[in-house]
Amino acid sequence: MRLIARYAKENETHFEIVTVYDVGLEKEKIPKDAPVLHSIAVKHPAAVWFERKIHDDFGIRIEGAFDNRPLVHQERFPSGLYPMQKAFDKTQIEEDPYKPYAYEAIGGDGVFQVSVGPIHAGIIEPGHFHFSQAGEDMLHQEVRHFYKYRAVEKMLEGKTLWEAKAVIERISGNESIAYQTVWRDILLEASGTELPVSLRKTHALLLEMERLAHHFTDLGFIPNDAGFGAALAYGSRLSEDVRRQLKALSGHRFGFGAISLEGVSMDREAMSEWIEEITSRLDFFESWINDIPSLWDRFDTTGILSQQNALAYDTVGIVARASGVAVDRRATPFYEAHGFAVQTGERGDVSARFKLRLAEAKHTLEMMHNLLDEKSEKVEAGSVKDGEYHSFAESSIGELFMAIDIKEGVIERFFVRDPSFMNWQALHLMMPGNIIADFPLINKSCDLSYAGNDL
Amino acid sequence: MLRFWNHRAATGLLTENPEIDKESAHLRKALKNEVKKKFAGSLAIRMVDSGSCNACEAECNALSNPYYDLERLGIYFVASPRHADVMLLSGLMTFNMTPHVLDAYKQIPEPKWVITLGDCPVMEAPFEKTFALNAPAKEHLPVAHHIPGCPPEPLAIIKGLLAFLKKID
Repeated sequence: MRLIARYAKENETHFEIVTVYDVGLEKEKIPKDAPVLHSIAVKHPAAVWFERKIHDDFGIRIEGAFDNRPLVHQERFPSGLYPMQKAFDKTQIEEDPYKPYAYEAIGGDGVFQVSVGPIHAGIIEPGHFHFSQAGEDMLHQEVRHFYKYRAVEKMLEGKTLWEAKAVIERISGNESIAYQTVWRDILLEASGTELPVSLRKTHALLLEMERLAHHFTDLGFIPNDAGFGAALAYGSRLSEDVRRQLKALSGHRFGFGAISLEGVSMDREAMSEWIEEITSRLDFFESWINDIPSLWDRFDTTGILSQQNALAYDTVGIVARASGVAVDRRATPFYEAHGFAVQTGERGDVSARFKLRLAEAKHTLEMMHNLLDEKSEKVEAGSVKDGEYHSFAESSIGELFMAIDIKEGVIERFFVRDPSFMNWQALHLMMPGNIIADFPLINKSCDLSYAGNDL
Repeated sequence: MLRFWNHRAATGLLTENPEIDKESAHLRKALKNEVKKKFAGSLAIRMVDSGSCNACEAECNALSNPYYDLERLGIYFVASPRHADVMLLSGLMTFNMTPHVLDAYKQIPEPKWVITLGDCPVMEAPFEKTFALNAPAKEHLPVAHHIPGCPPEPLAIIKGLLAFLKKID
């Protein structure tokens, strides 16, 4: 049973805990005074962050947890404030005196700690990594995030689905179209609207464009972190080509606002030629990069995530598939009818993740031919009915899950679980046996989102 | 590797010069001149993300791709604030990032400038004010210039940097 998400909501009389598994969801009611929740982290280690977040958001005590540290609330966050409670309505909070955070650290003769971040030595998002080192060897690493915590979940309460869209498409820039896709599915379900096939194909095509842009960026940056800068020049050029094409199709380089019910008109022949052109460039890149042995020396056996660990930590996306776990939300009749087949790797190392990105990019390009549709149908969504809705999509990082409760026409509870939220928790498993100089390489090979994780 | 060189000889030149339109060629020249005049040919930028969606960062990374290649104009993104002339600030100044942003600013040697990048740090993005946000950035830092956009495209960032350089003495 794969854990997908675990989150709380506040009703008038009680808290409700929703735990989402791949086989279905479970609900649990707990009283509002002195609320206590039993941890499931022994069975599902990735429940730890969900439960720590539930505590920070709602003040629910987690019983039987082996980690009770704050997650979202950092050193200066005022104690005793639980912002997701309905009664919390502050728009400004004051800094508390600094309360040190107890990092996971291994002690012993000669073992030392290395702190990295939140501001890193490059153009990257902020987050903190804490290493226990024996010389160059990493003994342990802790990921600490939520520096980008914008309180998006709270921000969207009381909005209509349409009002929330502009924020939802800006939660994680690299996954904007995936976020819009899960939003679209909730809108369609809540309004009982049927999407015309041509529009569904066009939306899927746009989502694949986003995947291409992200994969190409990574195909450049991963070798760059092993000191092979030429690949970055090539990869970033490919990525720029996709962004420009995405702008031509949707009016925006990241596809903000791309998923609309208005329909997209495109020149099927020109698009087909463009796909051919990118495919031939990618083929050149592949034959070139496959032939550089010193690069593969760095990639092979670096940062291994075993299949057992990938399963135990309920990982998703590229990270899971490169370790041989075939989870992909595109495994549906619609995608399969357009030529989709799940791509997996075996060894779970940097080279497996790199090769998988390459294979997926090629597969995506093939599939895009089948998703081309010249028809530009539009559809109008009916009025939104109250209820509890959830939806899934496969972003460029992995499985994205969104749940929205609508009450009296507006959002009562907004929850989204970025694929990165699962995979960040498994990152430390890839470190033992590697040297700290390989950390950036291993981290980049997973290329997880900070913004989507922190919300 | 031999296979690669054989392949290259057989296929010929593949790194063709991407089309450079007149406007961006003009911009590049002006930018290079300004950097030479005001910063002795080398402008060092420390980019700090204070809670963005990562699109602004992706566009800044794009400035290094072969289409724009900002480094050859003397503009560098540096790893440490202590090497920087300018802090390029994106994001919503989250409650959790604010102390770190202010810390990074303190580490930049004088003279120094802050440029805000994108709609977030001026609170013009669709995000609403919550307790977790401290934007607008100008309430916390002396902002010398702003580059609007959500996110600003690479060419808009280049234009914005040029406008900043023209503004200062």
